[in-house]
Amino acid sequence: MKVNYLANLAYIVPELIVLLTMLLVLILEATYSKRETSRSYPFVATVIGLFFALYALLHQGQLEGTLIFTQGQVSDSFSIMMKFILILGTLGASYVAWSSKELYNNFQSEFLVLILGGLLGGMTLVSTQQMLNLYVAIETLSILSYILAGLKKRDSRSIEAGLKYALYGGVSAGVMLFGLSHLYGLVGSLYFSDIAKALQYLPVNELTLAIMALLFFFVGLAYKASLVPFHMWSPDVYEGSPFAVTTFFAIVPKLAALGILARLSIQFFSFPGPLGEFWFSLLQVMSILTMTVGNITALGQKSVKRMLAYSSISHAGFMLLAVVSSRQADISSLLFYGLAYFFMTVLAFSVVSFVSDEYGNDSYDRFNGLMKHHPFMSILLVILMCSLGGLPPFSGFVAKFLVLSSLVSSGFYLLAIIGVLNSVISLYYYLRLVRVMVFSPSEAQEGLKSFSWDKQLYSYLLLVPVVFLGIFWNSFYHWFVQGTLFIQ
Amino acid sequence: MHRLLDWILWLPMIGVLALLLTPKEMTRGIKYISLFFTFLTFLLTLCLYGQFDTSLAGMQPHLEINHPWIPSFNIFYHLGVDGISTPMIILTGLLFFLCVPCSWKIEKSPKGFFALLLMLETTVFGVFMSLDFFLFYVFWEVMLLPMFFLIGVWGGENREYAAIKFFLYTFFGSVLMLVGMIALYYASGKDVDSFNLLALHGGRFSNLTIDLFGSTFAFDKLFFWALFIGFAIKVPVFPFHTWLPHAHVQAPTAISVILAGVLLKMGTYGFLRISFPIFPQASVYFAETIAILGLINVLYGAFCAMAQKDIKRLVAYSSVSHMGFVMMGLAAMTVPSMNGAVLQMFNHGTSTAMMFLLVGILYERSHHRWIVKPDGSKGFSGLATHLPKYTIFFIIGMFASLGLPGLSGFISEALIFLGTFPRFTTLTTLAVIGLLIGAAYLLWMYKRMFFGEVSSDVKEYTDMDCREILYMLPLGIAVVVFGIFPNPILDIMRASVGNLVQLLAQR
Repeated sequence: MKVNYLANLAYIVPELIVLLTMLLVLILEATYSKRETSRSYPFVATVIGLFFALYALLHQGQLEGTLIFTQGQVSDSFSIMMKFILILGTLGASYVAWSSKELYNNFQSEFLVLILGGLLGGMTLVSTQQMLNLYVAIETLSILSYILAGLKKRDSRSIEAGLKYALYGGVSAGVMLFGLSHLYGLVGSLYFSDIAKALQYLPVNELTLAIMALLFFFVGLAYKASLVPFHMWSPDVYEGSPFAVTTFFAIVPKLAALGILARLSIQFFSFPGPLGEFWFSLLQVMSILTMTVGNITALGQKSVKRMLAYSSISHAGFMLLAVVSSRQADISSLLFYGLAYFFMTVLAFSVVSFVSDEYGNDSYDRFNGLMKHHPFMSILLVILMCSLGGLPPFSGFVAKFLVLSSLVSSGFYLLAIIGVLNSVISLYYYLRLVRVMVFSPSEAQEGLKSFSWDKQLYSYLLLVPVVFLGIFWNSFYHWFVQGTLFIQ
Repeated sequence: MHRLLDWILWLPMIGVLALLLTPKEMTRGIKYISLFFTFLTFLLTLCLYGQFDTSLAGMQPHLEINHPWIPSFNIFYHLGVDGISTPMIILTGLLFFLCVPCSWKIEKSPKGFFALLLMLETTVFGVFMSLDFFLFYVFWEVMLLPMFFLIGVWGGENREYAAIKFFLYTFFGSVLMLVGMIALYYASGKDVDSFNLLALHGGRFSNLTIDLFGSTFAFDKLFFWALFIGFAIKVPVFPFHTWLPHAHVQAPTAISVILAGVLLKMGTYGFLRISFPIFPQASVYFAETIAILGLINVLYGAFCAMAQKDIKRLVAYSSVSHMGFVMMGLAAMTVPSMNGAVLQMFNHGTSTAMMFLLVGILYERSHHRWIVKPDGSKGFSGLATHLPKYTIFFIIGMFASLGLPGLSGFISEALIFLGTFPRFTTLTTLAVIGLLIGAAYLLWMYKRMFFGEVSSDVKEYTDMDCREILYMLPLGIAVVVFGIFPNPILDIMRASVGNLVQLLAQR
C-alpha cells in the first residue's frame, strides 16, 4: 500500500515524539541547568516523552505492513514490537542513570540527549527498507554511542572505552560500506525489495562476489550486536562506561542490530539456494561461537559488571539462534527473548550499580555475605541470576524455551543441544554471585547505605515482570506471535 | 475434597508465607509452624489414600485437576494421581513431616531452613502430580534451587562444592530432557494433547519425525536417551552417580533423608511416568541395557559401600545399590518385577530415611562419622552396650535395608527377583550377589561400631531422647508393618502397574 508523502508522518509519530523530547531536554538543560531544584526536569521530560512514544506506538492502529517514505522505510508489526522493546530499553537506561549516583549529578542532560538520539537511530534501523537508511541509522546509533562511552571525561577508563569503541566502530563501518558498495555493484539498487529479488536470481558466476560482499556487510552488523569474533570491544567498553550507558549499550544497539539482522535474513535469504544456505550457516556458526565464547570467558571474570558484559554477549548468541530458526519458524521467540532480556539486564545493571556506588568497584568480593544485611536484595539477585541462567519459573527460562522450541520445530536439534549446554555453563557463573552472597561470610559490619528503601522498592517493581513473564507468559507470547515482517 | 491435590501441593507454600511473616527471632514459633504445616500436609496425603479407588488403572478421575495455563502453547495446569504416584506422595508427606523434628536443633537461621524445606516439599509434590510435561519440567527444575541452598548453607565443610556439583549435574540432565520434551511436543503434532503425559502414552508421533529421522523408531530411540540421561542422573544410574556421595555427605541430616528418600525416586518415577509409557518401543528395545546398568549399580554401589570409612557415605552408596534393584525391576517389565520396583521405591524411602536419621542422631553426639578413623583407630565401639534404644532402631533399619524376611526390604526385593528371573536369568543371579555384599557391608559395619568394648567417647553419649524416638517410631512401624503386610501399598499400585506392563507388552 502506498501513501502520500506527508501522510507518511503518521507512521513515525513515536519517532517524532522521541525527537521532540530530545529537543525539549536540550532546551531544559540550557534554561534550568544552574538551579539545584530543577535537576530532575530533564529526567521527568524524558520519561514522559518516552511513555508518550510508547502510547503512540501501541495505538498506531494497524499492525499490517506498509511501505513508507518512497519505500525506504517500512512499518510492520515486527518493527512496532522491536521499537516497543527499544523504547523500554531507553527507559530502563534512564532509570539506571537516575537511580545510580554516577551520572545523576553531572552529565544527566547530555546522557539523556544522547540516548534519545541513539534510540532514534535504533528505531529507524529496525524498520528500514533501504541500504543507505540502514547505514545512516547505524551511524547515528554508533556515533552517539562513542560519546556516551566516554561520558565520564575525567575517568581514564571511560575515555579508553570511548576511544576503543570509536576506533572499532570506524573500522567496521568502513568494512561494511565496502561490502555494501560491492552489493550495489552487483544488484544496482539500494532497496531491500530489489536486492532480495536480485539475490534470488543471481547468476552462478557472481555468487563468489556476492558472498564476499555479504560477508563484509555482515561484519558491520555483527560488530553492533557484538557477535564473536567482533565482540572484543564490548567488555572493555561495557566496563569503562557508566552503568546507565552500559545498560543502554547492552539493550538498544544490540537488539536493534539483531532486529535488522532478522529482517535481512528473512527478506533476503528465506528462499532455497546456495546463498541462503551460506547466510544461515554463517549465522549458525556465529551463534554457536558467540554463546560459547561469551560464556566461557565470563567464567573467569572478577568484576560483576564485566561478567554481565560477557553474559550479554552470550545472550546475543542465543537471540541469534532465534534468527537462525526464523527461516522456518516465526520470529516471536526473538521478540520475547528481547523483552525478557531487557527486564533482566536493566535490573542486573541497576542493582550492581548500587553496590558500585557504595564501594567504587563491583568485584565479586563486594557481594560477600550480602544475604546477612540485605536479605531482600539478595533474594532479588538470586531470582535474577536464576532467570538469566534460564531456570523456571522465570522469564529467562521462557525466553530460552521459546527459542529452543522454534529451533526444534525447524529441525535444528544439534543447535538446540548446544544452546542448552551453554545455559548449563552460564549457570555456573551466575551461581557464583549467588554463592558469594549467600555462602560467604560478610566483611562489612553494616549494610549498604545505597540500598535505600525506595531503591529496593523500584528493584522489586522491576522484578515483577521478570517473574510474571515466567509464569503468565501466554498473553505476551500471543501478542508477539503476530509480529511478522512485511515483505513486498 | 475436589481440590485435594491442589491443597496438598500448595499447602507447604502457604506454610512458607506464614514462615516469612514470622520474625526470625521466634525460633520456636518457626519450628512449630513448619511442624504444623508438614503435619497437615501429611494428613492430607493420608486423605488421598482414603479417597483412592484401587479398581482404577489410570488416573483417579475424581481427583484430577485440569486448567489451561498457556493456551497458545497447549500447556495445562494438569494434576492427577494414579497407583504409581500415590505411594510416592504419601512417602513425601511422611518424610517431610519427620524432617522437621529431626532438624529441631538447627541453629543457623532456622527461618530460612524451614522455608526452603517447605518450598522443596511443594516442588516434589509437583513432580509426582504433574500430568503436563511442561509443568513437570518446571517443578523438576525449581526443585534444584531450594536443594542448592539447603546443601550449600546448612551443609558440612565442603558444602559449596557439593551444592554446585549437585546443581550443575542435575541441571545438565534436565536441559537434555528439555530438548527431548520440546522435540516430543512437535513430534506429536503440537496439538492440545502434546504436553499431556497421558495422551502421549504409547507414542503417537507425526510424519515430522519420519521426515527428519527416517522412521518414528529412530526418533524414539534418540529421545528415549535424551530423557533417560535426565532421569538417570537423578536416580543416579552408574556412571552418573558421582554427585551423590558428595551431596549426601555434605547435606544436613534432614536433607540427606529427603534426597535419598524422595528425590532419588523422582528419577525412577520419571521412567515409569514418562520414558516407558511414551517410548514403549524404545524401552523394550533397550530393556537389557537398562537391566545391565541396574546390575552395575547394584554391584558397584555395594562394593563402594563396603570400602567406605564414613557411615554416611556407606549409606549413600547403599542407596546407589538399592536403586539398582529398582532399575532392574523396571527393565524386566513383568508384573511382579514392576510391582516390586515401585514397592522398593517406597520401602527404600522408609528404610534409607531411617538409616540417615540414625546416622544424624549419632553425629549430633559424636560430631564425626568415622567407622574407622583416618589414623586407623575405631571411630565407635560398643554402641550396643551403651545405647540400647538406639541399637534397636539401628537393627530394624539395617535389617530392613539388607532385606531380612519380615521387614519391608525383603518383600520388594523378592518381588523384583521373582519378576526379573524369567527375563534376565544371568543378570538376576549376579544381582543376588549384590544382596549378599549388602548383608556383608552392613553387618561388618555393625560389628565394628556396635560390638566390642565401650570406648571412652561412647560412654559420654546419651541414648535417644523422647523427640528422637517419636520421629523414628513412624518409620520403624512402617518398615515392620509393610514387611509383614505390604498389601495396603500393593493394592494401590497393582492396577496402574498392570496397565503399564500391558502397554509395554504390546510392543
